[in-house]
Amino acid sequence: MEVIQLENVTKIYSIGEVETRALDGVSLSIEEGEFAALVGPSGSGKTTMLQLMGCLDIPNSGTVRINGQDVTRFNANQRADLRREVIGFIFQFFALIPVLSGYENVELPLLLTGVPSKERRERVMELLDAVGLADRANHRPDQMSGGEQQRVAIARALAPRPRLVLADEPTANLDTANGKQAMEMMQRLNQMTGTAFIFATHDPRVVSFARRVVRLRDGRIAEDSAHA
Amino acid sequence: MTLKKLWVIAYRDLGRNRRRSGLTLTSVALGLALLIFMSGMVNGVWQSALQDSIRLQTGHVQLRAASYEEQKLSLLRGDLLDNTDDLLARANQMSEVEFATPVLWAGGVLSTIHESTNLKVSGIDPTSPLHDPIRKGLVAGEFLTPDSRGEILMSRSLAKGMGIGVGNKVSLAVGNPEGQPDEGIFTIRGLFDTGFPSYDDNTVFMSLSQAQAFTRAGDRSSAIVIMLHDQDDAEEVAAALQSPGVTALTWKDLNQIFLEAMETGIVFYYIMYGIVILIVAVIIANTLLMAVFERTREMGILAALGMKRRQIMVLFLFEAAILALVGIVIGIVLGSLGVAYLANVGIDIGTAAAQSVEGIVFGTTMTGKFVPGEVISLSLWMLGIILLVSLYPAWYAARLEPVKALHTL
Repeated sequence: MEVIQLENVTKIYSIGEVETRALDGVSLSIEEGEFAALVGPSGSGKTTMLQLMGCLDIPNSGTVRINGQDVTRFNANQRADLRREVIGFIFQFFALIPVLSGYENVELPLLLTGVPSKERRERVMELLDAVGLADRANHRPDQMSGGEQQRVAIARALAPRPRLVLADEPTANLDTANGKQAMEMMQRLNQMTGTAFIFATHDPRVVSFARRVVRLRDGRIAEDSAHA
Repeated sequence: MTLKKLWVIAYRDLGRNRRRSGLTLTSVALGLALLIFMSGMVNGVWQSALQDSIRLQTGHVQLRAASYEEQKLSLLRGDLLDNTDDLLARANQMSEVEFATPVLWAGGVLSTIHESTNLKVSGIDPTSPLHDPIRKGLVAGEFLTPDSRGEILMSRSLAKGMGIGVGNKVSLAVGNPEGQPDEGIFTIRGLFDTGFPSYDDNTVFMSLSQAQAFTRAGDRSSAIVIMLHDQDDAEEVAAALQSPGVTALTWKDLNQIFLEAMETGIVFYYIMYGIVILIVAVIIANTLLMAVFERTREMGILAALGMKRRQIMVLFLFEAAILALVGIVIGIVLGSLGVAYLANVGIDIGTAAAQSVEGIVFGTTMTGKFVPGEVISLSLWMLGIILLVSLYPAWYAARLEPVKALHTL
């Protein structure tokens, strides 16, 4: 079943009088449970594609469907609702809220979705346990290493049980060992939960984990291993 | 998202830059403390001046002949009360009345060998509680008795200025009902200092019977001054004592110019209060804006996680509210301490400053008065204006596009 469908999507950025076509008539479908990488040089459009998939932005033309809904017609609050329920995010800079503990960071999306406190607690501890940080739950991000912060970020992304997790360069700020650990963890969680993972990456380590590789060049899909 | 968690995040966010939060909070506290202190001082000064005027000059109610004009200090028979005893009896029968006493006023000139000065001659019943301030302010000599003849009381500062003292003789001249001057030699029986130089230096006192004889007023009086248990009963008492040929004036009528000056002054003070509140509010708004700019990426993260715009806005308003509320509590404490000092100790402004306020009975000590209603009002205005001004940075944070805020997903 398709989680995301991009149909003939174009995204243009204007900086002054200069227009840049970040995506040019791209069509792509992501199935449930996929573990895919978006690969390409800088400026190829992979980050833009991730932003459109994550409802953080809307295309100039074309359609983006998530769970069958055309999100290009949604207003800002509706897109926020969808992000909260369906999509998890992992950023390259971890993006934890610095004043919240590891536990509270993972709990945050569940508070936004109104999950009752008992269920919240169970889910948060389950996820922290799955990423090996149950004993660091009360530490704040400035008390954690980069690898630990990224694991908390992974747990947070999965907390609302999303259908899809979007990760932008998730290993960029991790050393080799932590990067490998993070990818193995996400692979395991992908298999456990059935949540689709889409990575925008330069990192060959990440690409090596992906079951599907979509190569972008100049805002277009140059190669898609799903259709190879 | 529970409001409780937003409060927690807001509270902790303030701790990320403690110096900035501390300075902002201090500005709220000091701003409000200043307003409370100003309010206490203004209320204290105006209220005490009004009460002093009532106590020393006007009373709560005054009965006069309908044609009497105080500025002229007329001694014409038609301008004086000739049924003083009846009026006193009627007034003293009323339960609202604490006491009533007749007075006779005349314009006079006090002279020594070396100099002379214009002043008011006040004939009083020395036994009346109305004149307790003079009795208590006696600093030399003796107070008057009802039968005192050829004796006056004058202020210490006036006597010192004229180089005279207790036991010295002075010449006193007043205009009689025929418009001719009557002059007499009087001995200074006592010197007084009530603490109100503008009052003390413009009046000499003699017994009522002496004044009536000296001015040929017979048994007439210029007015009957009435003090009430509760000054709010003044209108009712005045209405009851009004009669043909007799005018009853309340303390509001008798202090009209002063009250109008008070109202005008209050408008000016409210403008000043508004300016102080606005300055403090702008400081808070600036603090919040700086926080928004510093946490732009964080706003993008929260938006990416699905936090709604109004929740982001509430987060920043909570930060403003915490700064405002804590600052207001500290400000109330500091301001109240200042007013308490004014109320209990006061600020000595000196004789020259007190004398410079013409037409108003002004003491040499500036006192304060704590008015809880005004403290609450100022605090609520401070809170309201701060939250209002904080809407812009909160709105700005909420309107940040997640993509732009994050720079990169």
